[in-house]
Amino acid sequence: MDMFLQSLAQGLLIGSTYGLISLGMGLTYSVSGVINFAHGDLLSLGMFLALACFTAFGLDPYISVFITFPVMVAFGALVYRFLIRPLVGSHVLMVIQLTLGLTFIVQNGLLMTFGGMSHRVPSKIEADLILLGDSVVLRSALAVAFAVSVALAGLLYFVLTRTDTGRSIRAVHQNAKAAALMGISVDRVRTLTFALGVGLLAIAAVLLTPGTPLHPSQGLRYTVISLMVMVLGGMTNFAGILLGGLLFGIAEAFGTVYVSGTSGMIVPYAMFILVLLLRPEGLLKRRAS
Amino acid sequence: MLEVVGLNAGYGPVNVLEDVTIRVDEHAFFGLLGANNAGKSTLINALSGTVAARGGRIMFDGHDITGLGPEKVVELGIIQVPEGRLVFPQMSVIDNLMLGGYSKRARGQRRQRLDEVFDLFPRLAERRSQMAGTLSGGEQQMLAIGRGLAANPRVLMLDEPSLGLSPLFVQNIFKALSDLHKAGLTILVVEQNLHLTLSHATRCAVLERGRVVVEGAGDELRNDPNTRRAYLGL
Repeated sequence: MDMFLQSLAQGLLIGSTYGLISLGMGLTYSVSGVINFAHGDLLSLGMFLALACFTAFGLDPYISVFITFPVMVAFGALVYRFLIRPLVGSHVLMVIQLTLGLTFIVQNGLLMTFGGMSHRVPSKIEADLILLGDSVVLRSALAVAFAVSVALAGLLYFVLTRTDTGRSIRAVHQNAKAAALMGISVDRVRTLTFALGVGLLAIAAVLLTPGTPLHPSQGLRYTVISLMVMVLGGMTNFAGILLGGLLFGIAEAFGTVYVSGTSGMIVPYAMFILVLLLRPEGLLKRRAS
Repeated sequence: MLEVVGLNAGYGPVNVLEDVTIRVDEHAFFGLLGANNAGKSTLINALSGTVAARGGRIMFDGHDITGLGPEKVVELGIIQVPEGRLVFPQMSVIDNLMLGGYSKRARGQRRQRLDEVFDLFPRLAERRSQMAGTLSGGEQQMLAIGRGLAANPRVLMLDEPSLGLSPLFVQNIFKALSDLHKAGLTILVVEQNLHLTLSHATRCAVLERGRVVVEGAGDELRNDPNTRRAYLGL
């Protein structure tokens, strides 16, 4: 029972961050129709930026995020403006190839800059533990990750439903032509959401860094996780994506604890196939449109 | 007020509009008629800036607005209610109307505008928190018009507002448009429904294969043989 609670808590905490990462991907997809295969590598870039801030200035990742977030937002805006926008309206494979190309550039750029060995970004709180009841022990970093992810998801929800910016994002997602007729600059909204989606990765990167070794080739793993979580959530259903992230995190934690050896790593993927078989439209069914 | 001079426009290799010239005066209720494929929607989209003009000019209040993007056109108060309504289906009625008042031009007086829309279409007030996608076709058309009004229009352009609606709803919609016209709004309506448009509009033009073939007051057009020819292809 203790083991069950422990892994459930662990899964929920890490899953919330998966949800946050996928939310960025889902946001971009819903507004621009672009599936960003470089998503995981941009997350990786965010982690290495945190590493660079530590090696150069000795900054704790929880501090340097105030630098890496705006940097990543600006980078995302530039990528959209100069690489992705010229391809809007062309075949969907063109954009996919472009983002795949981007993964190689980012990955090998990181390899050239930081070398092929694993790195660590130390943080003051990485060794801190929290005791929940008398049986569940959690790393503080994960609790922070959970709190920040949930808070950001809540903030995103508030912005999307209650503000003009959020309404304009949803409008472009639901009908770009009608949105333009409302006086919304569709192009600006798409740039903004892409930039925000990449910016979120800077935050997620910091949440993941404590205790995670960094390697230039790690991006693909996160791209795959984000894609699966997005599909679990029904592609554009933001609440579903968050739920998908939690589910994936829990499956991963249970897999590690209850299934021996490397076969435990299959569990989240098996769960993914199972969900697809039972609910191909995603975890939360959309209301009639 | 709104003048189109020698306009050419189209998509890809196809030229849809050829040398179209019309003038919509202030406070007019202008009906643009024509069969399918006559180029009516292309004209209205060229006015909105969502289709690029390939030649000719669009003038508004004496200023050349040819080539302005849709968001600039909206800021001038030239508002389109698109064909097929295009409401935002997964948003509430009130959010749709809020988006109608998104432009800088309308944002300040949005609340007041929304009250006016609810006065005009009480049905929308009853369904304010309902998802727009769950409304009936007629209600969606009301919402699309209300959304256009929320933008604080100087010219309201409607593309086929009668499309797919029951005759009763069509009457309601045109009655509402007439009321708005009497209150001083300039209206440009694109329609296939000949008699309805002729009986409400103060001035009409008939498009045939991208050209204006007749223009005049509603009653003059009713008996003009060119009108009939443009419609029946005789």
